[in-house]
Amino acid sequence: MRHIIGILLQNESGALIRVAGLFSNRGYNIESLSVAPTPDPTVSRITLVTTGSDATVQQIVSQLNKLVDVVGVQYMTGGAHIERELVLVRLQPRDRDRVLAVVQAAGGRVLTSHGDTLSVEVTGIESSLDAVLQELREHAVLDAVVRSGTLGLPG
Amino acid sequence: MNDTAKIAVAPHRGHPLSGTTMTGSQMIVQVIADEGLTAIFGYSGGAILPTYDAVFLYNAERARQGLAQLPLIVPANEQGAGFMAAGYSRSTGQVGVALVTSGPGATNMVTPVRDCMADSVPLVVICGQVPRSAIGSDAFQEAPVAAIMGSVAKHVFLVTDPTKIEATIRTAFELARSGRPGPVVVDVPKDVQNWTGQFQGQGTLQLGIYRQRMQALADNRLADDQAQLFFDALKQARKPLVYAGGGVIHAGASTQLREFLETFGLPAVTTLMGIGAVNTYDPLALHMLGMHGTAYANYAVDDCDMLIAIGARFDDRVAGNPGKFAPNARFIAHIDIDPAEINKVKTVQWSHVGELPDALRALTAWGRRHHIKPDYSQWHAEVAQLKHTYAMNYDRNSELVQPYYVLEEINRITAGEAIISTGVGQHQMWAAQYCDFREPRQWLTSGSMGTMGFGLPAAIGAQVAHPDRLVIDVDGDASIRMNLGELETVTTYNLPVKVMVLNNIGDGMVRQWQKLFFDGRMASSDKSLHKKDFIKAAQADGFEYAVRLERNADVPRVVAEFLAFPGPAFLEVMIDPDAGVYPMVGPGQGYDGMITGPCIPARKAAAIEKPGASEMF
Repeated sequence: MRHIIGILLQNESGALIRVAGLFSNRGYNIESLSVAPTPDPTVSRITLVTTGSDATVQQIVSQLNKLVDVVGVQYMTGGAHIERELVLVRLQPRDRDRVLAVVQAAGGRVLTSHGDTLSVEVTGIESSLDAVLQELREHAVLDAVVRSGTLGLPG
Repeated sequence: MNDTAKIAVAPHRGHPLSGTTMTGSQMIVQVIADEGLTAIFGYSGGAILPTYDAVFLYNAERARQGLAQLPLIVPANEQGAGFMAAGYSRSTGQVGVALVTSGPGATNMVTPVRDCMADSVPLVVICGQVPRSAIGSDAFQEAPVAAIMGSVAKHVFLVTDPTKIEATIRTAFELARSGRPGPVVVDVPKDVQNWTGQFQGQGTLQLGIYRQRMQALADNRLADDQAQLFFDALKQARKPLVYAGGGVIHAGASTQLREFLETFGLPAVTTLMGIGAVNTYDPLALHMLGMHGTAYANYAVDDCDMLIAIGARFDDRVAGNPGKFAPNARFIAHIDIDPAEINKVKTVQWSHVGELPDALRALTAWGRRHHIKPDYSQWHAEVAQLKHTYAMNYDRNSELVQPYYVLEEINRITAGEAIISTGVGQHQMWAAQYCDFREPRQWLTSGSMGTMGFGLPAAIGAQVAHPDRLVIDVDGDASIRMNLGELETVTTYNLPVKVMVLNNIGDGMVRQWQKLFFDGRMASSDKSLHKKDFIKAAQADGFEYAVRLERNADVPRVVAEFLAFPGPAFLEVMIDPDAGVYPMVGPGQGYDGMITGPCIPARKAAAIEKPGASEMF
């Protein structure tokens, strides 16, 4: 099962390594990870997506709560939460109109357009981005796909 | 307690040195001294030189004032310093301190730091680091200590702001001893050591919400309704059993545990780390459970209908097969300081997370208030019968010297009063099985990590902490080789450590597994072609007493003179190389299939099953 975990972390040297290390040391999987500042300059937010049984994720949360640098853990599977991921794509359309339609239908937009090459952005939940990319591949050659990893907003 | 400790406990008058101008190094040494330790351990080198100089100056000043100094014990290898500090800590309950240089000094310290983490031993390790300007440049003796130690320690600090050096060292001690104890590493660049500033004499780092978490643990009293649920279960039970682990010793909860057991008449088994939590001479003490636990302890676990785990964590050497562990226990209760241990391996019906002394006191008080006086006389009789029927035993008629016989002789003389450290392997398990301990902190062993080479330096650390007590390193010929250089440390400091090597000419535990599970192929575990003469080695390192014991008839006399020798003593015992560790619960097995060996009866014939590939450790 897929779980989203929000971690508030003090900005100390090695703090990120200790969080990431906890996952690898204990054999937990990290599917995506994003790190960004918060309004408090001494604290960063990590949003992490992992998979495992409920017992595993309970153990992960317990172990995270033991790290000195961790000031908060938000567990966001089930329950009310909002999640979004951003994908940036550089592509060469085979059918420009179809590509633009796909982007528009997904609520995305074109960022740059140089000759045959378009750069587009789309946000959505992980599975909807998977679907959008699949559709884009049908109508374009994708040169580069960069995903941000999932962000979660606890409900 | 020396004078520095008195300073530390009188903060209301302020630190007598607050406001003094000091170097970062002097601040490090002063904060360590404020801990009231009688010794620290470490090996010098370029990046820690300023702090070694500060130790020298501190001691010179203390000598001038006629005050107690802070001796710095120097090992042969930094790993030795780490295990000495661990031995000091394990035997006293104080935070041990090791002081090493950058690069190899720090990486040699990785094993003791992980060992302390795995056994929850409080330690502060201070590592020199290359100057801040050189970090990341692949400088001479540079290693990424924060990254390396971050994976194995409870916490790591890299001090990049020199004004925080004093508060960081003080915080390191706080972190090491609070909650579930563990090792804290402070990496201090050389220029930070050389920085000069004003000593505050107080102050710690902001720690996010760590202190709130610790406060919540301390405040989490065992509530009356929780106690009621516990006793409701206990009243239903006919065969309750306490399973006590190292957490009881770390928490200083042995007194409260003994009172709890006595008040309600509960028998107890202890883990390897929990040995000494209860007096092993007590009739209701069933000694060690687990892979090499006593048969009677393991059968009691099989029989119990209620299991009460206290400061223990159902690890794979205890619950190798969690599904088959305590199969008749309808109710399992678990008390621990670490919330992550509850339901980690085995789902429990009742749990409490908090300080063990408080929790045990609360349970005892609730039970007394409600006049809970259960009658377990039938169960007590069963326990006594188990201890009688399945008592530890060995071939007492063998021509070859049996290790158990030697340990029985030691135990007869020490009568549960000695501090005993061990290496890792068969000798470790024999010592755990055959030695008695009246009090906690007498049994020093590398439990979770299983680090060969632990015994000798740990004994040194314990002897430094307890100069007047009998400290014995029960070691093996392979284990002691790992840190053999520390033999010289024993004589350099004229420590009256008794070092006993049970020599079975190889890696005995490895051979035992090879016989059982690898069709007897003794890959690299035989040392009969090795040339080592341990007696000459001990003599070369300055042992005046260095004796080889080879005949049964000499055992009582030689063991007695070895233990009575007034100074460092070395005894090598040539034991039966085929002596095995029994009982043995195969990896991944339940206790009912326990192999009790040729001399201890078993309830049913042991099934020697080769473990699955994933359980082969």
